[in-house]
Amino acid sequence: MPESAEAGALSAATREVLETMFFTEVFGESAGPGPAPGGGLEARLHFEGQRSGDFQVVIAPGSARTIAANFLGAEDEAGIRESQVTDVACELANMICGSVLSRLAADVAFDLSHPEVTPAAGGDSGWPQGAARTFALENGSLRAAIRFE
Amino acid sequence: MYRVLIADDSPAMRSVIRRVIQLSGLEVAEFVEAGDGGEALSLLRRQGVDVILTDINMPNVNGEQLLRSMRQDNSLRRTPVIVVSTDATEQRIHRMLELGAQGYITKPFYPEALRAELERVLGVWNA
Repeated sequence: MPESAEAGALSAATREVLETMFFTEVFGESAGPGPAPGGGLEARLHFEGQRSGDFQVVIAPGSARTIAANFLGAEDEAGIRESQVTDVACELANMICGSVLSRLAADVAFDLSHPEVTPAAGGDSGWPQGAARTFALENGSLRAAIRFE
Repeated sequence: MYRVLIADDSPAMRSVIRRVIQLSGLEVAEFVEAGDGGEALSLLRRQGVDVILTDINMPNVNGEQLLRSMRQDNSLRRTPVIVVSTDATEQRIHRMLELGAQGYITKPFYPEALRAELERVLGVWNA
């Protein structure tokens, strides 16, 4: 089945954001919703623009801490506070979502809500009507998903 | 030596921008930080800065409202502003430049891109 424009943008945007600003290498990627990593963080936001909808990232606990340390330039992950992990997860969601939307409609501005971060329950299959990708990272995984209204 | 104001609601993002500028070699006398556009305006009215880096998507007073307020204030309208945003759409970039921003960087960015934009804007300002 050919990849949808949404799934392609999700893949390219997530890889670029992780590698450019979060210094996090992607070791593998799988299409579709798949099981969300449990025990970590879920950051979710709503967007309005040419098309409106919701965006979600679910990050495994080990990966969330590593990503936060990388982003902040911290030498020791143990020194990272939970509030910093949460703040970085918000920024990560914000950045990936903005990058996806800019790729899908480069000429029309959009507005993003502030991400809400909650503990990830894990195991759910995501949004069946949207696009989702799961990325294998150091110390775990990250799932990104988008759905349009 | 420059005074730099960073306006972003994310402390982590402010920290990253500050670190990128420090590593760029730009001579900075002081970093001033604000969590939204309103806080940025209050700081600007108390103390001048040489350049502002601002996000758009912030609570209370966003980056677009910050630019509009600066444009209406004779003491602030000439302070150069670089927008740092996830929104890479032509409509948004055009709107922010029309409102008076001198530079625009989209996230994610490479440190070199931010450094180049800062040097360009400060160079223009000092010319």
